[in-house]
Amino acid sequence: MFLAFAVFSWASVFAEDDLPVPAEELVFCTVCHGVQLMGNSIIKAPRLSGMETWYVERQLKNFKNVVRGRHAEDPFGYEMQPMAESLSDEQVAEAAVFANATRSPAPPATVIGDIEKGKAHYSACAACHGVDGTGNEALGSPDLTIPNDWYLVTQLMNFKSGARGSHPSDTYGMQMRASAQLLADDDAIMNVVAYINTLQNK
Amino acid sequence: MKNKLSRRHFLSLVGAAGGSSAVYNTSLALGLMQESGPVAQLDLKHIGRRKKKVAVLGAGIAGLTVAYELERAGYDVTVIEASHRIGGRNMTVRHGDIIDEMGYKQVCNFDDDPEMYFNCGPARIPGHHRRVLHYCKTLRVPLQIKANFSRPAYRHDPERFEGKPVTVARYTSDSRGFIAELLHKAADQNAFEKPLSTDDQERIREYARGFGDLNLQGRYKGSERGGRKSGGFVTPAKIHEPLDIQSLLDSDFWMGDGAFNSENADWGEPLMEIKGGNDGIIKAFVREIKSPIIVNAPVQSIELRDDGVDIAYNRKGKRKTISADFVFNSIPTHFMSGIPNNLPDDYRAGLAALTPGNFFKIGFQMKERFWEKEGIYGGITTTNQRINQIWYPSHGIHSQKGVVLGAYTFYDESEFFEKMTPDERLKYAADCGDKIHPEYSRNIEAGVSVPWGRISHMMGCGTSWGSGRSWEGGDEELREKYYKLLQQPAGGRHYMIGDQISYHSSWQEGAFGSAEVALLDLDSRVRAESGESRKG
Repeated sequence: MFLAFAVFSWASVFAEDDLPVPAEELVFCTVCHGVQLMGNSIIKAPRLSGMETWYVERQLKNFKNVVRGRHAEDPFGYEMQPMAESLSDEQVAEAAVFANATRSPAPPATVIGDIEKGKAHYSACAACHGVDGTGNEALGSPDLTIPNDWYLVTQLMNFKSGARGSHPSDTYGMQMRASAQLLADDDAIMNVVAYINTLQNK
Repeated sequence: MKNKLSRRHFLSLVGAAGGSSAVYNTSLALGLMQESGPVAQLDLKHIGRRKKKVAVLGAGIAGLTVAYELERAGYDVTVIEASHRIGGRNMTVRHGDIIDEMGYKQVCNFDDDPEMYFNCGPARIPGHHRRVLHYCKTLRVPLQIKANFSRPAYRHDPERFEGKPVTVARYTSDSRGFIAELLHKAADQNAFEKPLSTDDQERIREYARGFGDLNLQGRYKGSERGGRKSGGFVTPAKIHEPLDIQSLLDSDFWMGDGAFNSENADWGEPLMEIKGGNDGIIKAFVREIKSPIIVNAPVQSIELRDDGVDIAYNRKGKRKTISADFVFNSIPTHFMSGIPNNLPDDYRAGLAALTPGNFFKIGFQMKERFWEKEGIYGGITTTNQRINQIWYPSHGIHSQKGVVLGAYTFYDESEFFEKMTPDERLKYAADCGDKIHPEYSRNIEAGVSVPWGRISHMMGCGTSWGSGRSWEGGDEELREKYYKLLQQPAGGRHYMIGDQISYHSSWQEGAFGSAEVALLDLDSRVRAESGESRKG
């Protein structure tokens, strides 16, 4: 269990009056993903604050259409899948807009790895996700500096094992699944995520 | 017998075969039993109207207790509840009630009849849960006896006895008969580390004969305790042949909770339940509490200040803030990592060290009380199918319909059901029931499933320390490190409460207890401000 906490300046972030308030039908997103979708490492719900509208929408649709979240080795995906299925297309769009509008401090770094080795691995990632890790909408590659680092580890492992990115309709997921094979082992995954941590705007 | 039995082993053997009273008395003598004295008199100092403001986060048992007590002591109380309803995990569902599972919102489809209810959360109250009973008595909440154990109910192991259910009576009687024979032989042979006197030998033999209903030769030939096969009233009684010992030994109910759970301290007969549904205590609190209880109001931040505490919450699309002198927080600890707060680091680490459990229940409305035709009136059937248990209602005997508990699971079994849709769960549990009662599924008219690990604003039931889920409370070192800290108010203003801050997680008594600890601490502080101290 990770017990590191961000020393976040919540006085500046959470005392704001204009923080987005979720519509009634989207309150349940914040039950797991936390206030302002800040993430909850205890129940393994990742941070989504400020996530790209197009990416949230794509993933919610994947969950909704059972393209993601019904793999036997993806228990957290299983937890999420019915939530997305219960949303209408309009609510999916609304949820994506809400997620994009939320604000929270950068998540704490919890993954320990060899940053130099990770940097070498990351050169392959940078082609799609950008040298600064902030993603590329044209390529469909999301910002890696938004979710918690432990979530990146889980997802890289899922891509590598095929727990994510195996569904034939998951075009981008399959690309990512192939790319994840470049990371030889768990150490390589930890190293590259440790490097991604250095890219976050803290 | 090759190995001599030690006295301790002898005792554990007797205990394992169901000789609970022997073990009970020994434990009592050793002072191991739970303290069950009268409830501490809160006797909170009345501070004069509206001089101190209190925010209570969460309208479950702990939060409502705090609101009730502090309001009576003059505090200005506001209760803020994230979900749409008051009660927390004390939830009884009836016709039309919403079960707010995330992704699978269900509406209870039982008949519109006050007798058709299902206790999704707490459902059993033992006589030593003094705090629960204190509030039931004080608030005039009517109780009735609830059968938690039934000899005509079943033990069911699909792999043994041709997959047929065996009555608890027969199963218990034959298991005891077997163990009693062993004990009788051991006494005959004086096969103990320290030999017994001749008198003691005979005493043990006599106990063994009584324990197992053995004949004078110390042999078990079946017993009426196992229920009669036929007759006994106007024709001669016939008793069952003893069950095959090897099958008994191989079956999963030979030892452990499956066989003896009615002998656990909290499940010892007789138990009680609240008439009309266990949320009777919640309704009584709501009736008595005059302070506002604001529902649909998820907390957004908790900020401790030197002179108070600010709570931000959302309500009807707007963010609001309440400033208080004290806050009593029963938000599930696993959500606190997702709620901005400036609680001290060690306190936050303590909250993060608790892991939620995932209890799961199914309730079926049955159009006919078919179990009564089998002589079952209340109590529990245990099976090692994934549903674990079937509970028969103790109320409404001989009425037309009844609500049966169709599954009660924990940990891995709960995860199994959580992954299904509500309809799939009910279908699965119905099939399990058919293996025990031939009339089971055809009597099902309506059903609900309640996976506490997926209920909105809850996402868990029954916490343990450390990253794993555990019946025994989890990692004792972590408890040692954090429990007392979490019982103290952070910054002298933030009290963490709820069953999660107790040695009795998932029980109402734990929730009441946590509230009591917090209230007594607050009272001491308030009295100290005016130079008083609590008596005793």
